[in-house]
Amino acid sequence: MWGAWSSRTAVVGLALAVFVVCCLLPSGYLLAVSLGSATGLSALLIDARQRQLLSTTALLGVGTALVATIIGAPLGAALARVTMPAKALLRLALAAPVLFPPYIVALAWTYVCSNWIYTPGAAILVLGLVFYPLSMLATEVAMRRVDGRLEEAALLVAPRARVLRRITLPLVGPAVLAGGLVIFVLAISEFGVPGLLRVRVYTTEVFTAFAALYDFGRAIHLALPLLLLCLTVAAIAAWLVGDRLVTTSRPVGVRPVAFDDWRRAATTSVVAVLTIALVLPIAILVREALGARGLGAVLAGSREAIANSLWLAAVGATVVVIVGACLGYTRARAGSIGGRLADILLVVVFAVPSTIVGIGLIGLWNRPGAAGTVYGTDAMLVLGYLARFVPLTALALAANVRYVPVSQEEAAAVGGAGWLRTMWRIVLPQVRLGLAAAWMVALIMAFGELGVSILVAPPGEATLPIRVYTLIANTPPSHVAALALLQAAIVFLPLALLAAAMRVRERR
Amino acid sequence: MPRSDRFTAGASRAIVGASVAAALVVGCRSSDRTSREVTIYVSTDRVFSEPVLQDYGRRSGVKVNAVYDTEETKSTGLANRLLAEKSRPQADVFWSNEPVRTLVLKSREVLAPYRSPGAEGIPSVLVDPEGYWTGFSARMRVIAYNTTAVKKDEAPTSIFELADPKWKGQVAMADPRFGSTSFHVAALYALAGDEKMDDFFRRLKANGVRIVDGNSVVRELVARGDVKVGLTDTDDVNVAMEEGQPVGMVLPDRDGLGVPVMPNMVSLIANAPHPEEARKLIDYLLSADVERQLAQSKAVQIPLHAGVPGPKNIPAIDTFKPMTLDYAKAASRVEDVTNRLAPILGL
Repeated sequence: MWGAWSSRTAVVGLALAVFVVCCLLPSGYLLAVSLGSATGLSALLIDARQRQLLSTTALLGVGTALVATIIGAPLGAALARVTMPAKALLRLALAAPVLFPPYIVALAWTYVCSNWIYTPGAAILVLGLVFYPLSMLATEVAMRRVDGRLEEAALLVAPRARVLRRITLPLVGPAVLAGGLVIFVLAISEFGVPGLLRVRVYTTEVFTAFAALYDFGRAIHLALPLLLLCLTVAAIAAWLVGDRLVTTSRPVGVRPVAFDDWRRAATTSVVAVLTIALVLPIAILVREALGARGLGAVLAGSREAIANSLWLAAVGATVVVIVGACLGYTRARAGSIGGRLADILLVVVFAVPSTIVGIGLIGLWNRPGAAGTVYGTDAMLVLGYLARFVPLTALALAANVRYVPVSQEEAAAVGGAGWLRTMWRIVLPQVRLGLAAAWMVALIMAFGELGVSILVAPPGEATLPIRVYTLIANTPPSHVAALALLQAAIVFLPLALLAAAMRVRERR
Repeated sequence: MPRSDRFTAGASRAIVGASVAAALVVGCRSSDRTSREVTIYVSTDRVFSEPVLQDYGRRSGVKVNAVYDTEETKSTGLANRLLAEKSRPQADVFWSNEPVRTLVLKSREVLAPYRSPGAEGIPSVLVDPEGYWTGFSARMRVIAYNTTAVKKDEAPTSIFELADPKWKGQVAMADPRFGSTSFHVAALYALAGDEKMDDFFRRLKANGVRIVDGNSVVRELVARGDVKVGLTDTDDVNVAMEEGQPVGMVLPDRDGLGVPVMPNMVSLIANAPHPEEARKLIDYLLSADVERQLAQSKAVQIPLHAGVPGPKNIPAIDTFKPMTLDYAKAASRVEDVTNRLAPILGL
């Protein structure tokens, strides 16, 4: 359809080059350098300690994915199919827990639970309560796209529960599984919660190798089993659901069937989840924050950091979405085997611990010549955002692009339109909501990013998370709670705008 | 040119133009450096170090680009950044709030020697004979106790008492793999020997010690009465005392091993981009003025220059026996001690 010399080749080639330079090279460079370290290789030996780490990490990932899916998937189904008052507001409230840094949520629970909180089970529950919105939103989107004619036909001969079990769930299964996979990767690459709750997993070992022993080689080799675990799980998921990992069927004219018989159960669930995942942690944090003294000075001095963070996060999110959209398009139009391999690669790259990305970026860019002129500028922070968030954005946008039939592009090509014009006029307008959601998610993640930022931020400049975390070194937990609430409040506003936009679309 | 091609060409130019403009704007925002500038990486708490550096900037007219550190349990921090930047340093000066990081950086050849005239008057044990670091304004490791739950004369006077069943479930300490606690335990192993310290930490674990996420958390637990005693730093205890919380402090082992004293350390970075400005900043940080400022702030750091008045809540350094310590030897034990303690304390 498009020739090798079309604008598609140039744009997609450029996006792939950015992906290679920003996402693959930093960790690849560090890995290549560390392979020379003989001491680090000992970390790969599978001894009892390694087996324990592997099993705890897998338990944390699988457990969190299960808990988040058990909570999130039914809520997503309810939001899609059960009539509820103020649904847009409820959706926003239910999605809000993912705005809080997981570390802060865990910190809140440690204030009220003293004994059982320091266990793997508690870490799974905390992470499940933070990440369930991802499963919820993935399920809701999939439920809305189920062909209503199938359910209507089934309802003629079967009760609702059976229709749900035999028709609806198999159709939304791949989307739920894809959500679970993303949650799994997020959980096993999370450091803050297991670190605070003293659950020994690979990320805490990598962190200790860096922060306590200053042993880069050991840290990188310790990250390898983590990435292998990701590779295995992503490969299994790709094998199980194939191309459906990034797609479900396209919506047709018939609206999916409503399940209003279950309104009471759905409402009860929504209230229970909101209470446990949102109201209680916020109440605990507010109670702590009320004890903060001298906070005014801290907040007053944070204006520049807030403006800096918002500006950089906005630029970062825009670049991430542009690159992610190009890669997502390429993934969506790739062949079956190539597509699955791309999914696995994106998942594995997304799981690389942030410190490794940061150290790799320094090694790659802090050198004489053109690269050195970039190092020491804010552009390094944007490169960090690209390295961290392009893989997830590409996966999410690939799922969106798959809804746009290839036949439409073919028709445009036959009509003489170039690739860029086809993208601009046909593909992008149909995925604009997905682009907006991806931009918002990238903005939120970039705004809260600390692991890479602290390593590559130019001297004399700071983002809000850097300022918050450098200020709390000798301040009480009350200040931590207050600043965490501030950080969540700042990202809440754009999310509210997105919810408003979705509500307008819902009414249409 | 067909319409579609014109559109394609226009869109391409727009995208490339916007990308270049964004890159230039983002890239240049932090490139507007003045000619007289100095870059310092600081691991001393920002609330204490920032006013000192702002004062220096005002007095000297030099632009001070500071990068501050987080608590070591919350990010991998500046020592790793300095190691990663070693081949092309961006920093001129490193100001550390404890000895371990400085000595690790010295052993990895990140630092350069500089014998500052400001070091005159500082005890020789706190100045590197090779000139790679100079100590100033010290803190101490102390036992904090809740004054409501524990009378002053009943508070433990040695850290070894914390393993006594009398304090079962009532002791907190920060994760010994990080920060000033890592220095403290490494120093204890270096002085008291491995067997004695392994045994102590086993008994401490059996006594239900609470390992928490930083010294400020230890202070909070003691102040709230969640535990009766905890190991922490003088500045942490002072913050609680200034706020009127029921917290007191004991200088541990003042009659035995001695009280662990941790100086700040300042060092010149090897191949620093602004070596002259770096030396001037180091001279300033080692001045009696800065020690006075740090003593009078909530950091309550003990001046090492004779004649500088000390902080009000903290005993002067000549009124107790400090731990006699080879800092390099203690720092060299950190990795080994970290690996020993992990299984003992279940870290």
